[in-house]
Amino acid sequence: MEKLTFKVQRYDPDKDKKPYTQVFTIPFKHGMTVLDGLIYIKENVDNTLSFRSSCRMGICGSCGMLINNLPMLACHTPIEELKKDTITVRSLPNFPIVRDLVADLSLLFEKHKSVKPYIIAPDMAEAEKPTAEFLQSQLQLEEFVQFAYCVKCGLCMAACPTVATDKHFLGPQPLAQACRYSADRRDGGAKQRFQQADTPHGIWLCHLAGACSEACPKGVDPALAIQLLKRAIISDDLRLLKKRVPPSVAQPQAEKKPKVAVPEFTIKRPGAKS
Amino acid sequence: MRESHLKILQYITATGIFFLVGLHLIVSHLSSGEPTDWTSVAQRATSAGWLAAYILILLFGIYHGMHGIRGLILELSLPNRAVKIMNWTILFIGIAVFGYAVYIPIQAF
Repeated sequence: MEKLTFKVQRYDPDKDKKPYTQVFTIPFKHGMTVLDGLIYIKENVDNTLSFRSSCRMGICGSCGMLINNLPMLACHTPIEELKKDTITVRSLPNFPIVRDLVADLSLLFEKHKSVKPYIIAPDMAEAEKPTAEFLQSQLQLEEFVQFAYCVKCGLCMAACPTVATDKHFLGPQPLAQACRYSADRRDGGAKQRFQQADTPHGIWLCHLAGACSEACPKGVDPALAIQLLKRAIISDDLRLLKKRVPPSVAQPQAEKKPKVAVPEFTIKRPGAKS
Repeated sequence: MRESHLKILQYITATGIFFLVGLHLIVSHLSSGEPTDWTSVAQRATSAGWLAAYILILLFGIYHGMHGIRGLILELSLPNRAVKIMNWTILFIGIAVFGYAVYIPIQAF
Protein backbone atom coordinates (compact mmCIF):
# COMPACT_ATOMS: atom_id res chain seq x y z
CA MET A 1 0.00 0.00 0.00
CA GLU A 2 1.73 3.16 -1.21
CA LYS A 3 -1.19 5.47 -1.85
CA LEU A 4 -4.42 5.96 0.05
CA THR A 5 -7.72 7.16 -1.31
CA PHE A 6 -9.70 9.25 1.15
CA LYS A 7 -13.36 9.75 0.26
CA VAL A 8 -14.27 12.62 2.54
CA GLN A 9 -17.68 14.12 3.13
CA ARG A 10 -17.74 17.85 2.41
CA TYR A 11 -20.48 20.26 3.37
CA ASP A 12 -20.55 24.00 3.78
CA PRO A 13 -24.02 25.12 4.95
CA ASP A 14 -23.50 28.54 3.34
CA LYS A 15 -22.79 27.12 -0.11
CA ASP A 16 -24.03 23.53 -0.37
CA LYS A 17 -27.58 22.23 -0.32
CA LYS A 18 -26.50 18.79 0.81
CA PRO A 19 -23.26 16.98 1.68
CA TYR A 20 -21.13 15.59 -1.16
CA THR A 21 -18.00 13.43 -1.33
CA GLN A 22 -14.54 14.68 -2.33
CA VAL A 23 -11.76 12.25 -3.17
CA PHE A 24 -8.16 12.80 -2.07
CA THR A 25 -5.14 10.62 -2.82
CA ILE A 26 -2.35 10.82 -0.28
CA PRO A 27 0.85 8.86 0.41
CA PHE A 28 0.70 6.10 3.02
CA LYS A 29 3.10 5.92 5.94
CA HIS A 30 3.51 2.96 8.27
CA GLY A 31 1.59 3.49 11.55
CA MET A 32 -0.61 6.21 10.10
CA THR A 33 -4.04 6.80 11.63
CA VAL A 34 -7.12 8.16 9.87
CA LEU A 35 -6.58 11.44 11.74
CA ASP A 36 -3.01 11.60 10.39
CA GLY A 37 -4.47 11.24 6.90
CA LEU A 38 -6.96 14.05 7.47
CA ILE A 39 -4.23 16.29 8.92
CA TYR A 40 -2.08 15.55 5.85
CA ILE A 41 -4.96 16.57 3.57
CA LYS A 42 -5.54 19.77 5.53
CA GLU A 43 -1.86 20.73 5.60
CA ASN A 44 -0.89 19.74 2.05
CA VAL A 45 -3.93 19.39 -0.19
CA ASP A 46 -6.99 21.39 0.95
CA ASN A 47 -6.83 23.68 3.94
CA THR A 48 -10.59 24.28 3.88
CA LEU A 49 -11.31 20.77 5.20
CA SER A 50 -12.93 20.97 8.64
CA PHE A 51 -12.73 18.33 11.32
CA ARG A 52 -12.39 18.27 15.10
CA SER A 53 -9.38 16.82 16.93
CA SER A 54 -7.36 17.58 19.98
CA CYS A 55 -5.41 15.01 22.00
CA ARG A 56 -4.59 12.52 19.17
CA MET A 57 -4.55 9.67 21.69
CA GLY A 58 -8.20 8.67 22.25
CA ILE A 59 -8.67 10.65 25.44
CA CYS A 60 -10.57 13.81 24.49
CA GLY A 61 -13.19 12.17 22.23
CA SER A 62 -13.18 15.07 19.74
CA CYS A 63 -12.45 13.22 16.51
CA GLY A 64 -15.47 10.90 16.37
CA MET A 65 -16.50 10.25 12.77
CA LEU A 66 -17.99 7.58 10.54
CA ILE A 67 -15.03 5.69 9.10
CA ASN A 68 -15.84 3.04 6.49
CA ASN A 69 -19.45 3.13 7.78
CA LEU A 70 -18.54 2.53 11.43
CA PRO A 71 -18.42 5.22 14.12
CA MET A 72 -14.82 5.46 15.35
CA LEU A 73 -12.32 7.90 16.76
CA ALA A 74 -10.08 8.96 13.85
CA CYS A 75 -7.00 9.17 16.09
CA HIS A 76 -7.65 5.68 17.45
CA THR A 77 -8.02 4.01 14.05
CA PRO A 78 -4.78 2.87 12.39
CA ILE A 79 -5.22 2.68 8.64
CA GLU A 80 -3.50 -0.73 8.53
CA GLU A 81 -6.24 -2.14 10.75
CA LEU A 82 -8.90 -1.12 8.21
CA LYS A 83 -7.13 -3.36 5.66
CA LYS A 84 -8.28 -1.17 2.77
CA ASP A 85 -6.59 1.51 0.72
CA THR A 86 -9.87 3.36 0.22
CA ILE A 87 -11.20 5.08 3.31
CA THR A 88 -14.60 6.71 3.50
CA VAL A 89 -14.93 9.39 6.15
CA ARG A 90 -18.22 11.07 7.03
CA SER A 91 -19.53 13.05 9.98
CA LEU A 92 -21.27 11.16 12.78
CA PRO A 93 -24.81 10.07 11.90
CA ASN A 94 -27.76 10.97 14.19
CA PHE A 95 -26.27 14.46 14.63
CA PRO A 96 -26.69 17.57 12.47
CA ILE A 97 -23.60 18.60 10.48
CA VAL A 98 -21.91 21.90 11.30
CA ARG A 99 -19.41 21.66 8.44
CA ASP A 100 -17.59 18.83 6.59
CA LEU A 101 -16.77 16.26 9.31
CA VAL A 102 -17.83 18.38 12.28
CA ALA A 103 -21.03 17.13 13.88
CA ASP A 104 -23.15 19.27 16.20
CA LEU A 105 -23.06 17.38 19.50
CA SER A 106 -25.17 19.88 21.47
CA LEU A 107 -28.13 17.46 21.57
CA LEU A 108 -25.87 14.88 23.24
CA PHE A 109 -24.74 17.39 25.85
CA GLU A 110 -28.32 18.54 26.52
CA LYS A 111 -29.46 14.96 27.08
CA HIS A 112 -26.34 14.28 29.16
CA LYS A 113 -27.11 17.31 31.36
CA SER A 114 -30.73 16.21 31.80
CA VAL A 115 -29.75 13.07 33.76
CA LYS A 116 -27.86 15.16 36.36
CA PRO A 117 -24.41 13.67 35.72
CA TYR A 118 -22.90 14.65 39.05
CA ILE A 119 -22.96 13.47 42.65
CA ILE A 120 -26.07 14.66 44.46
CA ALA A 121 -25.00 14.49 48.08
CA PRO A 122 -27.54 12.90 50.45
CA ASP A 123 -26.17 14.97 53.33
CA MET A 124 -25.88 18.57 52.16
CA ALA A 125 -24.33 19.75 55.43
CA GLU A 126 -21.49 17.25 55.06
CA ALA A 127 -21.15 18.03 51.34
CA GLU A 128 -20.88 21.77 51.92
CA LYS A 129 -18.61 21.59 54.93
CA PRO A 130 -16.87 18.21 54.71
CA THR A 131 -15.38 16.98 57.96
CA ALA A 132 -13.33 14.24 56.26
CA GLU A 133 -13.14 12.31 53.00
CA PHE A 134 -15.80 9.71 52.06
CA LEU A 135 -14.68 6.11 52.18
CA GLN A 136 -15.28 3.88 49.18
CA SER A 137 -14.25 0.25 48.98
CA GLN A 138 -12.73 -1.29 45.85
CA LEU A 139 -15.94 -3.31 45.38
CA GLN A 140 -18.10 -0.18 45.57
CA LEU A 141 -15.84 1.55 43.04
CA GLU A 142 -16.09 -1.41 40.66
CA GLU A 143 -19.89 -1.02 40.58
CA PHE A 144 -19.54 2.06 38.35
CA VAL A 145 -15.91 2.67 37.40
CA GLN A 146 -16.28 1.13 33.94
CA PHE A 147 -18.99 3.65 33.08
CA ALA A 148 -16.88 6.53 34.36
CA TYR A 149 -14.43 6.13 31.46
CA CYS A 150 -16.89 7.83 29.06
CA VAL A 151 -15.25 10.64 27.05
CA LYS A 152 -18.52 11.99 25.57
CA CYS A 153 -17.38 11.36 22.00
CA GLY A 154 -20.91 10.56 20.83
CA LEU A 155 -19.96 7.35 18.99
CA CYS A 156 -22.54 5.31 20.93
CA MET A 157 -25.27 7.80 20.04
CA ALA A 158 -24.21 7.64 16.38
CA ALA A 159 -24.29 3.83 16.42
CA CYS A 160 -27.65 3.51 18.23
CA PRO A 161 -30.50 2.40 15.91
CA THR A 162 -33.11 3.77 18.32
CA VAL A 163 -31.55 7.25 18.37
CA ALA A 164 -31.70 7.05 14.57
CA THR A 165 -35.46 6.45 14.60
CA ASP A 166 -36.49 8.48 17.65
CA LYS A 167 -34.75 11.82 18.13
CA HIS A 168 -36.37 12.20 21.56
CA PHE A 169 -34.83 8.94 22.86
CA LEU A 170 -32.34 9.74 25.62
CA GLY A 171 -29.73 7.47 24.12
CA PRO A 172 -26.94 5.23 25.42
CA GLN A 173 -24.51 7.90 26.66
CA PRO A 174 -26.90 9.77 29.02
CA LEU A 175 -28.44 6.51 30.23
CA ALA A 176 -25.03 5.02 30.96
CA GLN A 177 -24.12 8.14 32.90
CA ALA A 178 -27.41 7.96 34.81
CA CYS A 179 -26.40 4.43 35.79
CA ARG A 180 -22.85 5.51 36.65
CA TYR A 181 -23.93 8.24 39.10
CA SER A 182 -26.85 6.26 40.56
CA ALA A 183 -24.52 3.35 41.34
CA ASP A 184 -22.10 5.61 43.19
CA ARG A 185 -22.39 5.11 46.96
CA ARG A 186 -21.70 8.79 47.60
CA ASP A 187 -24.77 9.77 45.57
CA GLY A 188 -28.32 10.29 46.81
CA GLY A 189 -29.99 11.41 43.57
CA ALA A 190 -30.85 8.04 42.01
CA LYS A 191 -34.62 8.65 42.22
CA GLN A 192 -34.32 11.93 40.29
CA ARG A 193 -32.39 10.14 37.56
CA PHE A 194 -34.85 7.24 37.51
CA GLN A 195 -37.67 9.72 36.86
CA GLN A 196 -35.71 11.26 34.00
CA ALA A 197 -34.99 7.85 32.45
CA ASP A 198 -38.44 6.35 33.09
CA THR A 199 -40.36 8.28 30.39
CA PRO A 200 -42.01 7.26 27.08
CA HIS A 201 -38.80 8.25 25.26
CA GLY A 202 -36.55 6.95 28.00
CA ILE A 203 -34.81 3.75 28.90
CA TRP A 204 -37.54 1.31 27.82
CA LEU A 205 -37.08 2.14 24.14
CA CYS A 206 -33.64 0.48 24.20
CA HIS A 207 -33.84 -2.78 22.21
CA LEU A 208 -30.44 -3.96 23.38
CA ALA A 209 -28.98 -3.95 19.88
CA GLY A 210 -25.57 -3.56 21.52
CA ALA A 211 -24.23 -1.26 18.78
CA CYS A 212 -23.31 1.33 21.42
CA SER A 213 -21.04 -1.08 23.27
CA GLU A 214 -19.37 -2.18 20.05
CA ALA A 215 -18.71 1.40 19.01
CA CYS A 216 -17.40 2.65 22.37
CA PRO A 217 -13.63 3.26 22.07
CA LYS A 218 -13.17 3.26 25.87
CA GLY A 219 -14.88 -0.07 26.66
CA VAL A 220 -17.64 1.63 28.65
CA ASP A 221 -20.35 -0.87 27.57
CA PRO A 222 -23.39 1.43 27.68
CA ALA A 223 -25.69 -1.52 26.85
CA LEU A 224 -24.73 -3.15 30.15
CA ALA A 225 -25.27 0.14 32.00
CA ILE A 226 -28.75 0.44 30.48
CA GLN A 227 -29.65 -3.10 31.57
CA LEU A 228 -28.40 -2.37 35.10
CA LEU A 229 -30.39 0.86 35.18
CA LYS A 230 -33.53 -0.97 34.00
CA ARG A 231 -33.06 -3.46 36.83
CA ALA A 232 -32.55 -0.66 39.36
CA ILE A 233 -35.72 1.16 38.22
CA ILE A 234 -37.84 -2.01 38.36
CA SER A 235 -36.36 -2.95 41.75
CA ASP A 236 -37.10 0.54 43.02
CA ASP A 237 -40.73 0.26 41.82
CA LEU A 238 -41.17 -3.11 43.49
CA ARG A 239 -39.43 -1.85 46.65
CA LEU A 240 -36.74 -4.48 46.17
CA LEU A 241 -33.88 -2.02 46.04
CA LYS A 242 -31.73 -2.35 49.10
CA LYS A 243 -31.65 0.75 51.23
CA ARG A 244 -28.34 2.48 50.69
CA VAL A 245 -26.08 2.83 53.65
CA PRO A 246 -24.92 6.45 53.67
CA PRO A 247 -21.26 6.73 52.70
CA SER A 248 -19.04 6.45 55.69
CA VAL A 249 -16.76 9.31 56.47
CA ALA A 250 -13.11 8.56 57.20
CA GLN A 251 -12.01 8.69 60.80
CA PRO A 252 -10.19 11.89 61.74
CA GLN A 253 -6.45 11.48 61.42
CA ALA A 254 -4.61 10.51 64.58
CA GLU A 255 -2.51 13.23 66.12
CA LYS A 256 0.88 13.42 64.53
CA LYS A 257 3.64 11.71 66.43
CA PRO A 258 6.59 13.90 67.48
CA LYS A 259 9.50 13.69 65.07
CA VAL A 260 12.19 11.18 65.96
CA ALA A 261 15.32 12.97 67.03
CA VAL A 262 18.11 12.69 64.47
CA PRO A 263 21.18 11.01 66.00
CA GLU A 264 24.36 12.97 66.04
CA PHE A 265 27.13 12.15 63.57
CA THR A 266 29.59 9.69 65.01
CA ILE A 267 32.48 11.20 63.06
CA LYS A 268 32.93 14.83 63.71
CA ARG A 269 34.03 16.78 60.69
CA PRO A 270 36.72 19.33 61.37
CA GLY A 271 35.22 22.77 61.65
CA ALA A 272 31.65 21.47 62.05
CA LYS A 273 29.57 22.98 64.80
CA SER A 274 29.12 20.58 67.69
CA MET B 1 -48.92 5.64 35.12
CA ARG B 2 -45.17 5.43 35.02
CA GLU B 3 -43.47 3.67 32.12
CA SER B 4 -41.81 1.22 34.49
CA HIS B 5 -45.22 0.13 35.84
CA LEU B 6 -46.39 -0.58 32.30
CA LYS B 7 -43.17 -2.49 31.68
CA ILE B 8 -43.62 -4.58 34.84
CA LEU B 9 -47.11 -5.50 33.61
CA GLN B 10 -45.56 -6.37 30.24
CA TYR B 11 -43.18 -8.82 31.96
CA ILE B 12 -45.98 -10.29 34.11
CA THR B 13 -48.26 -10.79 31.08
CA ALA B 14 -45.39 -12.36 29.11
CA THR B 15 -44.84 -14.89 31.89
CA GLY B 16 -48.60 -15.49 32.16
CA ILE B 17 -48.93 -16.05 28.41
CA PHE B 18 -46.03 -18.50 28.50
CA PHE B 19 -47.68 -20.67 31.16
CA LEU B 20 -51.29 -20.36 29.98
CA VAL B 21 -50.51 -20.99 26.31
CA GLY B 22 -48.30 -23.87 27.48
CA LEU B 23 -51.28 -25.26 29.41
CA HIS B 24 -53.47 -24.85 26.33
CA LEU B 25 -50.92 -26.65 24.15
CA ILE B 26 -50.59 -29.55 26.59
CA VAL B 27 -54.34 -30.01 27.03
CA SER B 28 -55.52 -29.36 23.48
CA HIS B 29 -52.67 -30.67 21.36
CA LEU B 30 -50.34 -32.97 23.30
CA SER B 31 -52.56 -34.92 25.66
CA SER B 32 -54.03 -38.30 24.72
CA GLY B 33 -57.75 -38.64 24.09
CA GLU B 34 -59.91 -36.37 21.93
CA PRO B 35 -59.40 -32.83 23.27
CA THR B 36 -61.04 -31.27 20.19
CA ASP B 37 -64.04 -33.54 20.46
CA TRP B 38 -67.38 -31.72 20.92
CA THR B 39 -67.95 -33.15 24.41
CA SER B 40 -64.41 -32.26 25.53
CA VAL B 41 -64.78 -28.69 24.22
CA ALA B 42 -68.21 -28.35 25.87
CA GLN B 43 -66.83 -29.73 29.12
CA ARG B 44 -64.01 -27.18 29.16
CA ALA B 45 -66.36 -24.38 28.18
CA THR B 46 -68.56 -25.05 31.19
CA SER B 47 -65.67 -25.32 33.67
CA ALA B 48 -65.04 -22.25 35.87
CA GLY B 49 -61.28 -22.95 35.93
CA TRP B 50 -61.06 -23.02 32.13
CA LEU B 51 -63.23 -19.89 31.89
CA ALA B 52 -60.76 -18.07 34.18
CA ALA B 53 -57.83 -19.40 32.12
CA TYR B 54 -59.41 -18.25 28.82
CA ILE B 55 -60.16 -14.81 30.20
CA LEU B 56 -56.63 -14.49 31.55
CA ILE B 57 -55.08 -15.55 28.21
CA LEU B 58 -57.25 -12.96 26.52
CA LEU B 59 -56.38 -10.23 29.01
CA PHE B 60 -52.66 -10.98 29.01
CA GLY B 61 -52.51 -11.37 25.22
CA ILE B 62 -54.36 -8.12 24.53
CA TYR B 63 -52.32 -6.11 27.06
CA HIS B 64 -49.02 -7.57 25.82
CA GLY B 65 -49.87 -6.98 22.16
CA MET B 66 -51.27 -3.47 22.63
CA HIS B 67 -48.32 -2.39 24.76
CA GLY B 68 -45.96 -3.77 22.12
CA ILE B 69 -47.73 -1.80 19.38
CA ARG B 70 -47.53 1.32 21.56
CA GLY B 71 -43.77 0.78 21.90
CA LEU B 72 -43.41 0.62 18.11
CA ILE B 73 -45.47 3.77 17.59
CA LEU B 74 -43.54 5.65 20.29
CA GLU B 75 -40.38 5.29 18.21
CA LEU B 76 -41.88 7.46 15.48
CA SER B 77 -40.85 10.64 17.35
CA LEU B 78 -44.44 11.83 17.66
CA PRO B 79 -45.21 15.12 19.41
CA ASN B 80 -46.55 14.85 22.97
CA ARG B 81 -50.15 15.57 21.95
CA ALA B 82 -50.07 12.78 19.35
CA VAL B 83 -48.60 10.41 21.96
CA LYS B 84 -51.50 11.20 24.32
CA ILE B 85 -54.06 10.57 21.57
CA MET B 86 -52.28 7.33 20.65
CA ASN B 87 -52.27 6.18 24.30
CA TRP B 88 -56.01 6.74 24.68
CA THR B 89 -56.76 5.14 21.30
CA ILE B 90 -54.77 2.03 22.20
CA LEU B 91 -56.47 1.82 25.59
CA PHE B 92 -59.88 2.17 23.97
CA ILE B 93 -59.14 -0.46 21.30
CA GLY B 94 -57.76 -2.85 23.94
CA ILE B 95 -60.83 -2.53 26.16
CA ALA B 96 -63.20 -2.83 23.18
CA VAL B 97 -61.45 -5.98 21.87
CA PHE B 98 -61.39 -7.51 25.34
CA GLY B 99 -65.08 -6.68 25.93
CA TYR B 100 -66.09 -8.21 22.61
CA ALA B 101 -63.88 -11.32 22.91
CA VAL B 102 -64.67 -12.12 26.53
CA TYR B 103 -68.35 -12.33 25.65
CA ILE B 104 -67.88 -15.69 23.86
CA PRO B 105 -66.44 -17.82 26.73
CA ILE B 106 -68.80 -16.17 29.22
CA GLN B 107 -71.81 -16.95 27.04
CA ALA B 108 -70.61 -20.54 26.56
CA PHE B 109 -70.26 -20.90 30.32
